[in-house]
Amino acid sequence: MRGLLLIFLVLLPVSAQAWTEAEREQILSFGPWPPEAARDSSNRLSGNPAAIALGAALFSETRLSPGGIACISCHQPQKGWGDGLARSKGMQQLDRNAPSVMNAHLSRWFGWDGASDSLWAASIRPILDEREMASSAERVAATIRSDAALTCQFEKVAGTAPQHLVDEAVMVLGAKAIAAFQETLTSGRTPFDDYRDALARGENAPYPEAAKRGLKIFLDSACAACHTGPSFSNGEFHDTGLPYFMQNGRPDPGRYEGIKRVRANPYNRLSRYSDDPDSGFTVRHVALLHRNWGEFKTPSLRNLRHTAPYMHDGSKATLIEVIRHYSELDEDRLHVDGEAILRPLRLDEASIRDLAVFLETLSASNVPDAASLERWAEEARKCRK
Amino acid sequence: MKLWSMPVMLVALAAGSVQAQQQSYAGPLIDAHVHYSHDAWDMLPPDKAIAVLRNEARLKRVLVSSSSDDGTQKLYAIAPDLIVPELRPYRRRGELSTWMKDDSVIAHLEDRLRRYRYVGIGEFHLYGADADLPVPRRMVELAKQHKLFLHAHSDADAVERLFKHDPDALILWAHSGFARPDEIRAMLSKYKNLWADLAVRSEHGRDGKVDPDWRKLFEEFPDRFMVGTDTYTPERWYYIAEHASWSRDWLADLPKDLAERIAYRNAEALFARTGFALPQ
Repeated sequence: MRGLLLIFLVLLPVSAQAWTEAEREQILSFGPWPPEAARDSSNRLSGNPAAIALGAALFSETRLSPGGIACISCHQPQKGWGDGLARSKGMQQLDRNAPSVMNAHLSRWFGWDGASDSLWAASIRPILDEREMASSAERVAATIRSDAALTCQFEKVAGTAPQHLVDEAVMVLGAKAIAAFQETLTSGRTPFDDYRDALARGENAPYPEAAKRGLKIFLDSACAACHTGPSFSNGEFHDTGLPYFMQNGRPDPGRYEGIKRVRANPYNRLSRYSDDPDSGFTVRHVALLHRNWGEFKTPSLRNLRHTAPYMHDGSKATLIEVIRHYSELDEDRLHVDGEAILRPLRLDEASIRDLAVFLETLSASNVPDAASLERWAEEARKCRK
Repeated sequence: MKLWSMPVMLVALAAGSVQAQQQSYAGPLIDAHVHYSHDAWDMLPPDKAIAVLRNEARLKRVLVSSSSDDGTQKLYAIAPDLIVPELRPYRRRGELSTWMKDDSVIAHLEDRLRRYRYVGIGEFHLYGADADLPVPRRMVELAKQHKLFLHAHSDADAVERLFKHDPDALILWAHSGFARPDEIRAMLSKYKNLWADLAVRSEHGRDGKVDPDWRKLFEEFPDRFMVGTDTYTPERWYYIAEHASWSRDWLADLPKDLAERIAYRNAEALFARTGFALPQ
């Protein structure tokens, strides 16, 4: 009888198996979603509707770049606010995948290397980068000043005409407006969120059996050590054993260079352009470590269905490929005293599929689209004195 | 008054203050922790690897061990003045957690020791009681027989066991055991033939300043420490020059004599204790 009971327990599907209290707590930590809107204290335009409208207009403004590249060129609404390319292309071919800007406002560091510590600084970076938009403060200011509607909207936002400000100040305010717009790009609820909330209420919610098994694998295999919280990202940087050579044969230094750049960034939270220098304690205290060489930011796992390909270099076309990478991880590429959490998952095919199904349930069907961008931008474009 | 509307003020702020920069240590530097393993050979052929060490990192000498040892020999063949070879007990990558239980490792070591000259055996990974297994014991005997030091990526326990096997052994403690300064102090006090490399450690010299606890340790044991990068992936070869620059920054925060000892003299003194004659 005892033997039969054991067999029954072993065969019991996860669906009928109650989560342990620790597992339940961990599952609840992935919500609630959406998180409460929080304003960026370093950006006085954060949450300002007029600035959001200006930012939306600037987000798709091709005149900002001599090559006609706009933010939207690499962050396309119909492609999950990425560009669908493995490695992105601006004025030149780039070495990294364009990360989605959806939910980006929930980050502490921005970009795969965290070279920016605010969304507005992260918006300035590609504008000035010769490989991306190859623009300048002069060009950004001239574009805004030469367009009546943009000038009107800018004045409404800044309280003064762009003609009365130096070029750099116009660019920074423009970037802060772009950041204010990006803060509106929060994705909708997902099947996982419904399941999670029901669990919080002590209720059952429809959720695929395969997704539950995948969630169990996710919890057991320490994926959740780095993919934490409602965004499924700890917002920090790790070596995941992936090669990180660039097309020129040199390695991408990743976070190592990112720390150097964020410290030296004239637009960081400690800078004179920050509206809350006290919020810059992270950049003041971030330490440059040898281990940072080749580390990249833990990406959010939300909306993966919309944001392929994956990894910092877009080298994985599908979620199955990503899972296989962690399943067959080359431990020799990891320092034995470095990423001690990472070990090959050694998953069988069924488990790989289950984990992929779980990850799919983190994608929302209701995500911000081009129409939401246009609604905001239209408001700016019709601005008249 | 808004800063935004004050161009004159912006210009003044832009001028900023120029922080006084500390001069970097300009003397010779030895990197005591480099691997040139098989997956680096195609990406960085030997001549380019030597150029990284000699021209980009401006190193005086480099202690190299590789999986396989052929990598070390490729470099040594074209730059014997620069490369100081040591022998790993690994024939390929992927053996770091199994070698100590693999009897064939001894034949590998004996074969290579017959055919080539080395300054040490290592870097090997060995923890706790595994150091008492027959393969590590025989390795210690070989080191004694050939007058070689042991380069141990080990916890303190394994290092102590190695010294029990041969109280006169010379041991270079990789990464200083990733131990705290007080733990390192205890080991260096106990074993006069123990040296420590600083590979993959950042805490002793952040932003060009030597941490006070580490400074005390360096001052107490000026003859025991040396610097190292650890190129455990091919990509990290391109970190060697950055690491050298980083090391020169914090070495400059030490008195000249102490800086020179850690930068290269301690490594040369350890090499001189072995049977390997360094080319001048």
